[in-house]
Amino acid sequence: MPIDWQEYNAAGVWDELIAPNGRARPGAGQLRKMLARLSDAELGERQAAADLAIRAMGITFSVYNDESLGAIDREWPFDIIPRLMQWREWDAIERGLKQRVAALNRFIDDIYHEQRALKDGVVPRAYIEKSREFRPQCVGVDVPGGVWSHVCGSDLVRDADGTVLVLEDNLRVPSGVSYMLENREVMKRVFPELFEHLAIHPVDDYPRQLWRCLAAAAPDGIKTPRIAVLTPGIHNSAYFEHSYLAQTMAVELVEGGDLVVGDDDCVYLRTIEGLVRLHVLYRRVDDLFLDPEAFHEHSLLGAPGLMRAWRAGKVALANAPGCGVADDKVIYTYVPDLIRYYLSEEPLLPNVPSYRCVEKDERDHVLDNLDKLVVKPANESGGYGMLIGPQATKRERERFRRRILANPRNYMAQPMLNLSTAPTLADGRLEPRHLDLRPFVLSGRDRYVTMGGLTRVALRKGSTVVNSSQGGGSKDTWVVGEADPAPRARR
Amino acid sequence: MPKPRTLSRVAESIYWMGRYLERAESTARLVAVNANLLMDLPAGASLGWRPLLDITGGAAAFDARHAHADERNVARFLAGDLANPSSIASSTARARDNARSVRDAMPRVAFQYINELYLFVREELAGQPSRSRRGAALDGVARRVQQIEGFLSSAMLHDEKWQFLRLGNHLERADMTTRIVDAKARRPSATSEFPPFEQVIWRSVLQSLYAMQSYLYSTQGQVERGPVLQFLFKNETFPRSYAGCLRSLKFGLRHLPRNVEPARACERILRHLDGAQLQCLDGAALHGFIDDCQIRLNALHEAISKTYFHVEPDAPRQPGEATP
Repeated sequence: MPIDWQEYNAAGVWDELIAPNGRARPGAGQLRKMLARLSDAELGERQAAADLAIRAMGITFSVYNDESLGAIDREWPFDIIPRLMQWREWDAIERGLKQRVAALNRFIDDIYHEQRALKDGVVPRAYIEKSREFRPQCVGVDVPGGVWSHVCGSDLVRDADGTVLVLEDNLRVPSGVSYMLENREVMKRVFPELFEHLAIHPVDDYPRQLWRCLAAAAPDGIKTPRIAVLTPGIHNSAYFEHSYLAQTMAVELVEGGDLVVGDDDCVYLRTIEGLVRLHVLYRRVDDLFLDPEAFHEHSLLGAPGLMRAWRAGKVALANAPGCGVADDKVIYTYVPDLIRYYLSEEPLLPNVPSYRCVEKDERDHVLDNLDKLVVKPANESGGYGMLIGPQATKRERERFRRRILANPRNYMAQPMLNLSTAPTLADGRLEPRHLDLRPFVLSGRDRYVTMGGLTRVALRKGSTVVNSSQGGGSKDTWVVGEADPAPRARR
Repeated sequence: MPKPRTLSRVAESIYWMGRYLERAESTARLVAVNANLLMDLPAGASLGWRPLLDITGGAAAFDARHAHADERNVARFLAGDLANPSSIASSTARARDNARSVRDAMPRVAFQYINELYLFVREELAGQPSRSRRGAALDGVARRVQQIEGFLSSAMLHDEKWQFLRLGNHLERADMTTRIVDAKARRPSATSEFPPFEQVIWRSVLQSLYAMQSYLYSTQGQVERGPVLQFLFKNETFPRSYAGCLRSLKFGLRHLPRNVEPARACERILRHLDGAQLQCLDGAALHGFIDDCQIRLNALHEAISKTYFHVEPDAPRQPGEATP
């Protein structure tokens, strides 16, 4: 039975496709009409076609499995109903993201040089000195163009009143972009007719833009640098993406053992032709595993001497080591101030309102409202070590009260967000499911933002957990509409 | 953009993938042919299954765990036993491991085919399958390896990576040919104990190598020790002969950079073969000759390995941006 949009219930939250009166949001009319024309069975067939395409295209993510097989590949969970955005709204978000990443790169560069922001009291010095992600090895290093975080993935959410907010910035080794690209390929196979009728902005320029961004980081002004993607190996959960990006950029996919740092501080690849110099390493390995000489001495994921080579300016590391100092969740609360400080501009994209536990007033507010707030530690990612107040037991809240009091610098708190929803296929029917959006921002000679990004959706009813390892899926993200004179033209 | 280079790690994995695939196939063939051979020999013939352990080099490991080298034990040891590093099950598992780490260097379906082979072996050769089921499974292994090699041959870029796959195939194949001949020919039983069956034994050697028709066609003669040795070692046109494999190795190496050492090792093997008068070698002398062959093959492996897989910091350096 085709869906009756009057009965589609997204009460109390913002739905990306359907307004409260059952009508389409601006730009979504055709998609809404088309979905209403499809029977449940037809929708099921399209979903089956998408699942088949994903299997055939080998789009997977790895889950560690204890059986003798080691890591196993799972097919990427994908929902066929696209998430839609008007180009005009997207354009504003894009400008906000560029502004944000510009300020963050200025901040990182400043932290490892003069520390003006600390001297001027924009960010308390103690935050940086106690940050687990501050790397003394990076102090004084000059990186080309002052770019430290070449690839940034910022997570955006939409609140109940429709405001788009930044939830966090991933400045170290953000992942997911390959799924954004593959989702589009799958959608072209599943809904070819929609691509004829709607002006959907293409996303497939990303690999070329990433190559340009990495090439711009090359040392010594080398015009055609040799670039490689460094992966921890086939057992890493994002290995699919590492190999996907290497293939689509036509660069080598390397592991730590493929690299040698010479006594001339240059980085070389071990090849059948001997050692070949490498100029740019897009590393998908965390800082602390990059170089056993500088960090974890037993790590085999990187190569001894990489930091030495980077400090000597003989190789570019993207992202540069030490970026984590700016994606600390407490530093996040200062980003609007950093934008004002470095760029003399007002922030275009708001943060989620946040409370810093280190400041007494705000801490008292947090402690009084633990049952309403989400408390996050500064340096964890992937949802670890968090307190979700309304869902926590009294004991858990007490435990967090003690932790906050013992180490207030390490915590911040935010109100529970009512994430927006979009129609999603659940047991053969369209129902609202919560989602977020991760666009990727590239910084090289100029800045580039993906057209839309990766929409992650919580497939379980009522859930707001969008991680693929925990029942999350993804959707294609369509930026549609005017303002681009030739939106379908390939650049 | 800079010219793409083949990473040492990738070359090495592809090379070993080639060797293990070839090893799985020849071991499958060996077990199948031996089971057939024994049906043609009188009951109680001492030939039995032990020669297969000598061929695959697993005799010591086998004896540590089994009292009798009977069909049941040896076939299981060579087929589904993961504790035997050169069993079919171990070889396919290692071929798969190597393929998995370089799946991006091959057409996408290649890994799928290799994975299917691995799953097939796990399914069909685990435990103690019945004779007929084992026969079908061994045939299935050989066919699947041929499918994989045929597919790669028709779908992979014939670039340097491809050459490493072929080097692995041909080195393993040359090695296996010498082992099969050695195990069958050096046994005194092959000549003295059952003289009427000598033909049967040499026929099984040819069958293990898919060589029967090719042999009959090329020699137009009987299946006899001298001509069979001559054919299996010196006939360049037969791809599984020692000479045929060496020819492929020699041409393969020409397509690789920095090939001086490996090419020299290859020439040494060819000269050694040229100088051999196979028809005149008796059992012990033949065994000595084959030992020398294997030492030389191993030297070629070492040269390839040292030149291409273990590139150390003092290796020649090439500035990446200099070559357009």
